[in-house]
Parts: sequence; C-alpha cells; structure tokens
Amino acid sequence: MASSGTSKDNRPDPDVLLAEARQHGRGRLTVFLGAAPGVGKTYAMLSRAGKLQANGVDIVVGVAETHGRAETAQLLDGLEALPRKQLEYRGRQVEAFDLDAALTRRPHVIIVDELASSNPEGARHPKRFQDIEELLAAGIDVWTALNIQHLESLSDVVAEITGVRVRERVPDTVLQRADEVVLVDLPPAELIERLKQGKVYLPESAKRAIDQFFRPGNLTALREMALRRTADHVDDDMVDYLKRHAIEGAWASAERLIVCVGPDALSEKVVRTASRLASGLNAPWIVVSLERADREPADAAPARIDALFKLAERLGAETRRIAATDFVSELMKLARREHATQIVIGVHVRPRWLSWVRASLADELAARGAGLGVHLVTGDQEEPPSFVRRFRRPDRRENLRSVMIAFSSVAAASLIAIGVDRAIDLPNVSLLFLMSVVFSAIRAGYVAAFLAAILSGLAYNFFFIQPLETFVIASPHEVFAFFIFIGAALLAGGLASRVREQARAARARAVAVQSLYDFARKLSGTAKAENVLWAAVSQLHETFGKAAVILMPQDGELVLASAWPPDADLDVTDMTAARWAFERKETAGSDTGTLPASGYQFRPMTSPQGVLGVCGLKWDGRSVDGVSERILYAVMDQTAIAIDRARLAEESIAQAAKLQSDNLRAALLSSISHDLRTPLSTITGAVTSLRQLGDRMGPESRNDLLATIEEESARLSRFVANLLDMTRIEAGTLDARKDWIDVGDVVRAAVERCARYFPELAVETSAAPELPLMRGDSVLLGQVLFNLLDNAAKYAAGEPVRIDIRTDEREIVICVTDMGRGIPANDLDAVFGKFFRRGKPDGRAPGTGLGLSIARGFVEAMGGTIRAESPAFRRKGTRMMLRFPIPENGKEAAPQ
Amino acid sequence: MSADRILVVDDEPQIQRFLRPALTAAGYDVIEARTGAEAVKAAATAAPDVIILDLGLPDMDGKDVVAKLRGWSTVPIIILSARDRESEKVAALDLGADDYIEKPFGIGELTARIRTALRHRLRADAQTERVCVDGLEIDTLRRLVARDGEPVRLTPKEYDLLVLLARHAGRVVTHRTLLTSIWGPAHGDDLHYLRVFIGQLRQKIERDPARPAIIRTEPGVGYRFADEL
Repeated sequence: MASSGTSKDNRPDPDVLLAEARQHGRGRLTVFLGAAPGVGKTYAMLSRAGKLQANGVDIVVGVAETHGRAETAQLLDGLEALPRKQLEYRGRQVEAFDLDAALTRRPHVIIVDELASSNPEGARHPKRFQDIEELLAAGIDVWTALNIQHLESLSDVVAEITGVRVRERVPDTVLQRADEVVLVDLPPAELIERLKQGKVYLPESAKRAIDQFFRPGNLTALREMALRRTADHVDDDMVDYLKRHAIEGAWASAERLIVCVGPDALSEKVVRTASRLASGLNAPWIVVSLERADREPADAAPARIDALFKLAERLGAETRRIAATDFVSELMKLARREHATQIVIGVHVRPRWLSWVRASLADELAARGAGLGVHLVTGDQEEPPSFVRRFRRPDRRENLRSVMIAFSSVAAASLIAIGVDRAIDLPNVSLLFLMSVVFSAIRAGYVAAFLAAILSGLAYNFFFIQPLETFVIASPHEVFAFFIFIGAALLAGGLASRVREQARAARARAVAVQSLYDFARKLSGTAKAENVLWAAVSQLHETFGKAAVILMPQDGELVLASAWPPDADLDVTDMTAARWAFERKETAGSDTGTLPASGYQFRPMTSPQGVLGVCGLKWDGRSVDGVSERILYAVMDQTAIAIDRARLAEESIAQAAKLQSDNLRAALLSSISHDLRTPLSTITGAVTSLRQLGDRMGPESRNDLLATIEEESARLSRFVANLLDMTRIEAGTLDARKDWIDVGDVVRAAVERCARYFPELAVETSAAPELPLMRGDSVLLGQVLFNLLDNAAKYAAGEPVRIDIRTDEREIVICVTDMGRGIPANDLDAVFGKFFRRGKPDGRAPGTGLGLSIARGFVEAMGGTIRAESPAFRRKGTRMMLRFPIPENGKEAAPQ
Repeated sequence: MSADRILVVDDEPQIQRFLRPALTAAGYDVIEARTGAEAVKAAATAAPDVIILDLGLPDMDGKDVVAKLRGWSTVPIIILSARDRESEKVAALDLGADDYIEKPFGIGELTARIRTALRHRLRADAQTERVCVDGLEIDTLRRLVARDGEPVRLTPKEYDLLVLLARHAGRVVTHRTLLTSIWGPAHGDDLHYLRVFIGQLRQKIERDPARPAIIRTEPGVGYRFADEL
C-alpha cells in the first residue's frame, strides 16, 4: 500500500502527478474540521452549501445532523435532502444514510455529515468514511465534518489529554487524501460559553464526560491539534503544488521512517507515535514486523501483527515482514534499500542486570546503526516476562498426554532404579530420573518435562533418600542434593523441550514448503484453466481446512468457477462481497471492513494481466494468521500465473486452429473458383474462336469446339447442382420423400445415366432375388449412385465397377466396388467431408470434392448409412457400402 | 515466311482443346505442353516465338517456369491467370513475363496480345526512335515530346517514365519495373511516386486526363501504353 499520495523525497517526483492522475475522475473531498463538538461545523457546511446552490451548483444533503438547533435547521430549508433508508435492526427501525440512493441521484456535491460515525448493522459498510470513499470513487464531490479527536493517530493522545476514550475513529489517510480541509474554529472560552447556554448538542454517553472534556485546557489542546492538522494539510497542498510545477526549493524532506513492531502490547503505541512523527516530518514510513526465523510464532502473535498492520495501513504506512535470526543486520539492509533515515522501536523497561547478559535491540541498533536516527518509544509498564508465553499453549488433550508420559516415564525410571539398586550399589541413581525428565521433554514438551521433574524429585526422595519410603529428608546434605537434582532436572527438561519446539517449528515450515512445492508441481502438470482452479481450491481447502471458492468473471459477470467442497453455495451477500473484492482489488467479506456479514472472506487474485478473479475462504471464526496468509498469497499468485499461462496456451491453440481453418478456406475458395472458371474459360474461348475465326476452320474443328462447349456447359451445371445440393443439406432444407421404391430400378437408371457421361466405364450389376421395396426418394438415391459411379470412373483405372444389391438381416445393402488404387485407412471417413479430394499434387482434383459428402447427406436424409471400405479386394479397390433399413411390411409390398 | 510458333502450356485438356484449333485458324503453329518440365523442354527444343503459360501447373509453379526460361531465353511469355491470383501474376511479370491475360478471355484479346508480343520481339534489335500515338509524338533522338504539334514540357523523370512506357507499348509494365528503373532499386515499393508522376504526365499528354487513353491503368499490376488507337 502506498504511504500517501504525496511522497516527500527529493527525487523529481512523478508520484504527485500519478496521484493526481489517479484522482482524475474521482470526486473531491472537503472536510470541515473542528476541535470539538459545537464549534459549528454543520452550520458552516450548510451555509456554504446555500451559497453554492445559489450559484447553480447541484448540491444534495445526504446526512446533516442539526441536533435540533433551529438556526442550523433553517439552513436546510432551501436544500434538496436525500430520504433516509429504513433499516430493520433487532426488531426496531433504524434510519441510515442511503448510499445507493446517493449513487443513483449522482449530484455534483453531496453533504454527508459526521465522518466518524458508524453505520447501523445491515448497511453496506460498517463505517461512514467507507460510504464516502465509494461516493468519491463514483466521481461525486463530498463535504463532510470531522472532530479532531476522532482521528486514528490522535486517539491515544486525546485519551491521555481528556481522559475520554474515543471509540469512533477515522483513518488518517481519509484526512490526508482530502482535497480541501476547512477549519471551523472557535476559541475555547466562546465554546464553553455556548455550552453553558445549551447550544451544544452532546450525545447521551458524552454527557457524563462533559466536565472532563470541556475544560479550557483540553479544548486548547484539541484546538491546537486541529490547527496543526489543517496547517499540515495546507503544507501538503503547497508541497504538491511546488512538485507539480517542478519548483525547486527547500521543501524536500528526505526523511523515511522504519518502524519495528512485534506482537507485544507496546507496538500499537509505537505505530501511533511513528504515525505522528511521520506526518510531522512529512515522511513516508514502513512498519516492519520482526519474527524469529528459527521459531514458530506464538499462537496469538500473527493475529496481533495483522491487527497492527491494518492499523498502520489505515494510518498511511507501508508494511513488511522480516523473518530473521539477526534482526539488526536485516534492519540495516532494509534501511539501506529503502533509504530510511530513522528507525522507531519500542523498548520495555528492563532490569539493569539483563542488559549485561544480552544487549537489547535498541542498544544494538545504537551501536551498529551508523547514520540512522533511533527513536525509542517506552512502554508504560513492563509486560510479564515472556518465558512462558514463548511456548505454544497446548490444548487439553495434549496436556493429558503430557501427564501420562511424565507419570509413566518416571514410574519406569523408578522401577529400573529400584531394580538396579537391588543388583548393584549405584551411587548416582538420580541420573536415571534425569533421563526420564529429558525423555518426557522430548516426547511431550515442557509441561511433561516440568511434571516429570517434580515427580522424579518426589520418587527419588521416596525411594532413595533416607529415611526411605517417606517424603522426609533426614540429612541436610541430602536436602541440598535433592534441590540440585530438581534444578538440573528443570533445566534439562526446559532445554530438551525447547529443542522439541524448534524441531516442531522446522517441521511446520517444511510441511508448508512441501505443500507449496506439491502445488507448484501439480500446477505445472495442468494445462487447462479449469484444472488449475480445481487444484487451487483443493489445495486451499487442504491447507486451511476451510471451504474454498474461486470466482472468475464470465461475460462481465462474476461466477463461481471452482469450489471445494464442490457443493459450496454463495448467497447474495457473498456475491456482493466477491464483486467488491474483484472491482476494488481489496479483501472483502467476513472479518473485514466491507460486508462483514458475508460468510466468506474474498481476496482478489492478481496476475501481471490484472485481477483475474477472487478467491474466497469460508469464515469459521479463525482468521488466517501470518504464516498461513503468506501461503495463501503464494497459492493465489501461483494460481493466477497458472491461469494466465493456461489462457495463453488456449489462445495459441485457438489461433493455430483458426490459421489452419483460414488456410483450408483459402484452398477451398481457390479450388471452387478453379472449378467454375475452367469450364467458363473453355466456353468463352471456344465461342469467341468460333465467332472470330470460325470461317478459317475446317468443319471438324468447328464441331469439336461446339462439342467442347456442350460438355463444359454440362460440367458447369453439374458443379452448380452439386453446390446447390450441398447448400440444401447444410441449410437443413433437404426434404427426402418416403415413397416405396424398387432399388433395382433406381440402380439401373443410374447406370444408364452414367453410361451417357462415361461411355468407357464398364459397370456390372448383380442383385439378390426377391429384393424387398424400401422407403426412400428415388431421385436422391439415383443421385447418390451416380456420384459413387462418377467417383469410380475417376479412380477405377479402367477396371470394371461392380454394383451388388442384397439384403442383410433387416437392411438392404448396396455395394459399389471399384478396382482403383483404394483409399488410405485414415482417410476412410474423411472422404465424406466437404471439398475433400484426392488428386493431383497441386491440390486440384478432377472432381468437385462434393460428391461423397452429398451422397452421405442424401443417404442420411433417407435414414440409411454409408461407409467406405478399402482395400476392397486383395490390395486394391474401394467399396462404398450403403445400408437402408427394410420397412416392417417391405417384403409384402414387394411386387411378386 | 513460316508461321509463328506458339507454345501453349496448360494442364487443362479443355483449354488445350479449344486453343489449338483457334490459334491454328489464326495462322499460328501450336505446340502443347501440360507440365512445367515439358514446357521448359519444348521451349529449348522447338524454339517457340511466343509462350502462353498457365500459372497453375501440376508439377511446378508457373513463376518457376518463367524464372527458368528467363535464365537463357528472351522469348515473349504471356501469362494466363485468374483474378484471385493477383500477386502471383505480378510476381511472374516482375520475373520477366511480358504480359498477362485473365481467364476467362476471348480469343480476339489473346491474339492481340500475341501480335503485340511478336512485334516487340522484332523491334527488340532496333531501338525505337519515334513513337506516334493519338496525336502524341515522342522523338527519343532529340528528346522532344509534342501533342498535336505543340511541344510538351516534361521534367526529366516524367520524360523517362513516358519513354519507358512507350518502349513497351501494348504491354503491361509493372509498378516495380517502373519504380526500379526510374527511381532506383531502393524505391521498388514507393507506389505513391508513380501515382503522382503518372497523374502529372496524363495532365500534360492526354486529351482528357480524366479518361486517359494513352497511359492506361492495369489495377494492381502496373500501366500499359496504348499500342494503337
């Protein structure tokens, strides 16, 4: 997240222009800033609105709190007010600002009072400033009012000064991004006067704090803060102006802050202090969380860090995580990389002796951080030493296991010790107990170790220290030895359990790495986008144990693309949250600031191409902690990249297919044009020759030319007829008749017709006796046979062609067999394709490439099938086999 | 004088079937070839005076036949081509074919092209010194151009362009040929030069520049100087 629109380093600054470009199309935000309630912000806002409206500006009041003051209410009179939305909340009606109505109304300027207030449950956003953000994004100018104490970074200062804890807070970025800040100022004395006259409205809750709050001292402090913020803003504006117009000057403040935080309570104060420091210095700032690379973070830590990061981002910081063993050198590296000038860290008050044992981070930074300013933020009180908190808090089952292991290992040690003691006189039998402690520590962690240490002590005392079989210790040196034993046992147990913790952390990391690696491998094996999505949701479900969904845009609408479990169901709120996440590229849904009522938390999935979709995890009360979040983002990034890759692959396949079909179409076109043109050329040439040179020719030449014209005309008309037949088949307008036809007759007619065209072709026909009639269209069947004979004539190579007609079970089978060169096995089906020809190497063939596809179209229209077989006989020839079903009463219908 | 011999190269038997009697009747000797290889062989052995060449041949591309023939022969080549093979036709002309005719064509058109080709073959030895067409006179010895007796003032480039076209009177000259011979090999694709200069030339020499009769446009191919009007 960018720190703010106004970066303050001394490079020639494109950021400002960029911010301005980003602002382009956005509405302008005007904030009326006051030091305290009652200074007259609403009054100032409304009277200014009245003036603007008089000048013809389209201005609408979204929300204005008059608090029953007559003079303010009077100002509302001439202004258009947006009706409130009625929301039902726990059985009672609540009025709320109607965001959608405002967006639909689209005024030039809208007044939305009380920037800091919260929306009632059920509204789209929990906070009003989020409503305003949406209005601005929609290009509507917004006027709003704010009291200084509601500013996030000032909340603890305000609490310190006034003793009143402010609940409703506004991120500093909202004020920073305001295009105009109007200070509504009233000297404290006057304000108190107004208060006394009852002119200041205060909510019920504040009335109790009234005496504490409205003291001259407080008001002066608040007023100073308001003045300073306004001045800062004016300063920002001026700096922006200077930068935009490339005016050199002393404005450049090259400060950059790095702020170190951890999961401790002090860190929040560190962040707020740093934010004030940063805004005072006009410096960008980076909040860095420090985590030990060799240790798994305590359970609560990631959640606290996340909360801190959210706070820091609201205050305008960038956030980073550093996992390292040597924090100081990592920090120094970061500082160099980011050109940081100052480091802010929190320090706890530590006992002096501790600093002799181990230098604090602050000390080390002071020693090694050459050239850096180090700010120390001190805590109010020392937190409890973190010795215990450092370990993971085990659950009940684990506790039980610890107890069992401790008991059994000590019992075993006792038995062995007693046994050994009987056999030989072992002087340091206590070592056996020590072993049981270490064993417990390794197997079950520090609880077991601690327990085992105590138990061992007791057992040792009971069995081996005089007087035996009592817990009493007789001699003083035995007491001393006993305590040394307990101490050693605790130390050994602690060490062993820590080793165990580290091993466990390493294992957890290894598992995370392994699962990411597996996922990457799974992705690299999948080429299709849907498989990628599938792999992603199952991976997410496996990693987080939550239902996972991925939504992708389809025709401009976000739809569920993949889910695990596959029957996941998204309701309207979920879909709204998903769309929000997709459009705004922000996390939305449960546990976020936007639509928290949704059952899922949605995160945008981005690739270099932009937002590809959103990924949602079902909310089950556990937020995603730091380590898991990193895994989550890694998975989402990999998914996005894999989807990109899959899409590119699909596109290139489609491109290749298109290229191929383009080539095919070009070849087709050139072949059709050739088929049409050759007869036309011949006819034109022959006719012009006869007209111009006819008198110089002999009668045979003239006759031959005339014959040429006749033949070519026939060829042309056949080709055109074929094209028309094909068009009819393609268009589905082919209407086959269902007459009773005699196959033998049709075949004879086709053979006779063929003999006219191909006199040299010999056709042998054989028919089985008593052929049944079939249902069909004699014209179509005749054309089919003619086309088959036409082909046979081209490829028969002078050999005779056979036609056999027989019945087979319940079908009539007609075979047309030639003795030509045959068809290669893999073309047997392709020959029925349109414009398929087998011919000369230049792609031309004697035929039109339509004959067989027309044959198939006709045969299928009559309910039959056609199939090619090759070779038909030995290694030569082609057999075309037509099959038509014999109708139920076909045999009876046959003429006897 | 014996009849001129024409080699017809086409793989379509129907085309051959009508060309042979027609060309024979027009007074030519006809020899046939059905493939590119046959064509090259026949050109070498039978010494045809004109070759009529179809671009689509079963064994090789018609352009390759032109390239092979132009390696050793200057015999006029007339391309038979289809409108959808525009680029092939231009490529063949650039490779050295003399003229083209689009299918389907009338026999009169073809015999006119053959006559033009034959005349140029005769003229190739003696350089033309005077050209006279439709009242336009070009005297290459004195570098003079006159329209109906009135001298026409041409820039050197316009003059070169006009003479180049006139030397190929009756035959098409491709854009590339014009551009490379007048502006140099680097300008082979600068069609706009030609458009401008041809426009200027027509303004100066045509009776009606809006309907040019002397320099005619062959769309997509080049220009043709009127042979006889």
